[in-house]
Amino acid sequence: MTAPLADFHLAQPGTVDEAVAACAKHPGSRYVAGGTDLLVNMRRGITSPDQLVDLSGIDELTALATDAQGMTIGAGVTIAALARNILIADKYRALAQAAAAIAGPSHRTMATVGGNLCLDTRCIYYNQSEWWRSANAYCLKNRGETCHVAPQGQRCHAAFSGDLAPALLVLGAEIDIAGSQGQRRIPLSELYVEDGKAHLTLAEGELIVAVHLPAKPPASRYEKVRTRGAIDFPLAGVAVALTVKGKTIGALRIALTGTNSRPFLLDGTDAFAGKALDDKLLQAIDRLVQKQVQPMRTTLASANYRRLAAAALARRLTANLFAEASA
Amino acid sequence: MTAAPTPYGKLARRGVPLIDGIEKVTGRARYTADLDHADALVGRILRSPVSHGDIVQLDVSKARAIEGVVAIVTGADCAHTYGVLPIAMNEYPLARGRVRYRGEPIAAVAAIDEETAERALGLIELEVKALPAYYTSADARAPGAVLLHDDKPGNLERDVHHTFGDVAQGFAAADLVREEQFSCAEINHAQIEPHASLSEYDPATGRLTVQTVSQVGYYLHLMLAQCLEMDSSRIRVIKPFIGGGFGARVEALNFEIVTALLARAANGKVMMQLTREETFITHRARPQTDIKLKLGMSKTGRFTACELQVVQRGGAYAGYGIITILYAGALLHGIYDIPAVKYDGYRVYANLPPCGAMRGHGGVNTRHAFECLVDRMARELGLDPFAVRRANLLQAPTRTMNDLVVNSYGLSECLDRVEHASGWRARLGKLPPGKGLGMACSHYVSGAAKPIHRTGEPHAVVNLKLDFDGGVTALTGAADIGQGSSTMVAIAVAETLDISLDRIRVISADTAITPKDNGAYSSRITFMVGNAAIDAAKNLKTILVKAAAKKLEANPEDIECGEVFRVGGGDQSSLSFADVVAAALVDEGAITVKGSFTCPPDFHGGKHRGGAVGSTMGFSYAAQVVEVSVDDATGLVTVDKVWVALDCGHAINPLAVEGQVEGSVWMGMGQAMCEETRYLEGLPAHASFLEYRMPTIAESPPIEVQIVETHDPYGPFGAKEASEGALAGFPPALVNAIANALGLDLNEIPVTPDRVMEALTQRRRQARLAKSVKAAS
Repeated sequence: MTAPLADFHLAQPGTVDEAVAACAKHPGSRYVAGGTDLLVNMRRGITSPDQLVDLSGIDELTALATDAQGMTIGAGVTIAALARNILIADKYRALAQAAAAIAGPSHRTMATVGGNLCLDTRCIYYNQSEWWRSANAYCLKNRGETCHVAPQGQRCHAAFSGDLAPALLVLGAEIDIAGSQGQRRIPLSELYVEDGKAHLTLAEGELIVAVHLPAKPPASRYEKVRTRGAIDFPLAGVAVALTVKGKTIGALRIALTGTNSRPFLLDGTDAFAGKALDDKLLQAIDRLVQKQVQPMRTTLASANYRRLAAAALARRLTANLFAEASA
Repeated sequence: MTAAPTPYGKLARRGVPLIDGIEKVTGRARYTADLDHADALVGRILRSPVSHGDIVQLDVSKARAIEGVVAIVTGADCAHTYGVLPIAMNEYPLARGRVRYRGEPIAAVAAIDEETAERALGLIELEVKALPAYYTSADARAPGAVLLHDDKPGNLERDVHHTFGDVAQGFAAADLVREEQFSCAEINHAQIEPHASLSEYDPATGRLTVQTVSQVGYYLHLMLAQCLEMDSSRIRVIKPFIGGGFGARVEALNFEIVTALLARAANGKVMMQLTREETFITHRARPQTDIKLKLGMSKTGRFTACELQVVQRGGAYAGYGIITILYAGALLHGIYDIPAVKYDGYRVYANLPPCGAMRGHGGVNTRHAFECLVDRMARELGLDPFAVRRANLLQAPTRTMNDLVVNSYGLSECLDRVEHASGWRARLGKLPPGKGLGMACSHYVSGAAKPIHRTGEPHAVVNLKLDFDGGVTALTGAADIGQGSSTMVAIAVAETLDISLDRIRVISADTAITPKDNGAYSSRITFMVGNAAIDAAKNLKTILVKAAAKKLEANPEDIECGEVFRVGGGDQSSLSFADVVAAALVDEGAITVKGSFTCPPDFHGGKHRGGAVGSTMGFSYAAQVVEVSVDDATGLVTVDKVWVALDCGHAINPLAVEGQVEGSVWMGMGQAMCEETRYLEGLPAHASFLEYRMPTIAESPPIEVQIVETHDPYGPFGAKEASEGALAGFPPALVNAIANALGLDLNEIPVTPDRVMEALTQRRRQARLAKSVKAAS
């Protein structure tokens, strides 16, 4: 990309507290870690923050540790580090699979856990150059009046396309958030809302510090569909976690990405507890997914394809994982 | 026409690495954007925000007033059109009066830095009165559609109607007649190096020097002279290292002329580096194509007749369009024996970036439709796909109905090789569910026999210079754009003189130094420039042998040329190469010789209108087998393996041939599986490497390449082209493999997962419908 970057201030704090303070001092600041999402948008003139607060020099963000409570993953841990961690591959398999499926190898060495969780939503009308968006009268998400995906509607339909979130959702992750009021811990699901223009619940100046995973996670898997086997964002991504009780399902969680403005846990999977995994159940899962996903024309691939593929992945991952967990 | 020389074959038969390869892999190679532009101004282009309209107002006064803006040019600064065909130049470097696609250049700024240039662009006041815009061939051709070009009714750039043989009789004689419609998406070359151009105008001498990404410096040179109204002797076009072309850079491109206009206006040096998006918008690639194909076949698999209709959505300007639409029909004749062919081609103007030449120019989409339909009919008749192809082979040498000449023809051997290598007979029909095998054939020209500019000059000229240092410098206008043509020239010279390859230095494509060449397109360089290089080397050899003979007091006929010159093969009287050079220079001083190559008129194609297109002195032939796995839950197609055989006549450099064949298969794979341009109301939604989905290494299958050598009677050492012929076979082989895997016939490429799913869904729907109809009856 040869478009020039606009000038900005750069803060390089050494601690989370300094980062939060630097951000507070300079309204309109943005945190940057790997920069694989933000810098692209900046070069496209989508956003031009006055100050970037660089998180890459903060050691406490790169922790990756386990204790009796489970695993803590610092928000600054790179995707590459996540993908090659043996413990994660063994115990939190969906997370390892999601990490390995993100973008390409060079992106993964730069991109971070926090960045992937806070990935901006994406849309074919939004992720374009300044010339392009200007020629198209911009869009509801950025400087414009209309959502070109659904011109009659009032909301932005840009899709969340992070791969880690669904894996972490089915694993029951919680996140630590730091802000000027100190730190707070919330379930990951509470980070997101269904609004393409403002899909994160983080307050101004807040940042994700770490992700916590339970010590005894269920078996899990993640898979995404995309046109190419590398680089592409998910057209639909599905994570499944389950436990087996005898010959039936103990607990089942399914989470999705790429189809909505937020990653989300599929509603209604509690009802499958105690049931045998048969065609009927898989069809029920298929119906649940098709009902709850809301893909719109935000990608060049059709919305209907993303709906069908999400359902197909959910069915297949559940069946395969059940078979493996039962063996 | 003299017979081709026999190959000396002293170089390793595995081939040699490209002579400029080390510079590239070590990063020492300087591409246009790497050139020293410390003192250059930054050029930027203002592009049309609308698809179609009349320019009502264009005011650059505010932009001009900014400090740091040195020059601004608009359509008012160039009243000449440019293009590639002398008969179809309807494009201004900067729009005049009318804009016809979103992204069309309107004005350009040269400023002291990028930021100033961008700011200036923002201050240019532009008002365009919008006109209706058309993004499909059907809309552009609809009755009452506003014309993009007043002299082109129906928004047709060219319609072609050619009939050879008795088509009606052919269909009447067929046991099976089938007709299908195919659609191939528009694609782009997506060469890795974005466009760039560095222009310097020296007001003191009135000279213009342009360093740029061109595949054909000669065309650009002509267009610069035309558009800048300069004497062509004051212009120099230099090709630095080039990061791929694939046809994108055959035509002179608007930004190259615009950069030169800016440099002259600024009386200085201007660097223009286009973004990836602008590089996509510059386009000139393979058009979206609708094909209707009807074939007649006997129950033994013989073709009886063919009716082909091709509609190409060519974009807003002529470009190469006439050639492309002619190729799409003419090339049908060059691969199989078809007794009767009717072709109707329509090249349509639409409000999108202009299409142009792209690897496999004109032939790929027709070949796709043809090879798919042949397979389906074979299936219906219970015939093996290989058997059907074998039933329709040409017999070389032959002259086709449309006057194409086939001098060597290795398709039969290509078929044998891939059938055997892929285990076709043992494996077809016995693969696990979801897996399939498919095959197809393809071909391409080794250079257009009749050049675009009919000057009467030779098709290629190569100069060789030999001086006191004993180095042989080959000067060729042929642009090495990564395909290895300079290495080919070096080998041709080394083999002919039987001297060491590293004694030879090749200087490629600098119009001040190298003889004019028609450039890197239509896979012409090996055939034409190779022959010219051999001719030049033979002339040099004559001089050296004469000098050696004099010194050794022997007959020239008894002298063996090489690193050591010998008499009659013995060692008793011999001279080193340096000694011979010293002896030759006594008589001549520094030696410059010339070699040339001309395609005789006999090879220039038919006398019918457009009959020159498709003509060549040598067709390459290819067959390939593709093995796929299809996931019917997600529609994802995986290519497991490709076996490909190419008849390139003779592999001058087998290593490079193998690379070119892999590259063409891979590019065919991109078109077949995932590459396509997509416009939203004329805005390119695909204009990045994220949204324009070239395959990555993750999708790249093992490609097993076999080289078939038929020793073409006219090719250099018997060689033909090797860079394009294998491309067109991939898409149909893939679609045929998917049909084999799923029993599902797809008529649209690329076969993206959503298209596969859509087809599967439709099939299920039809099956349900059939079931319910059956139940009801």
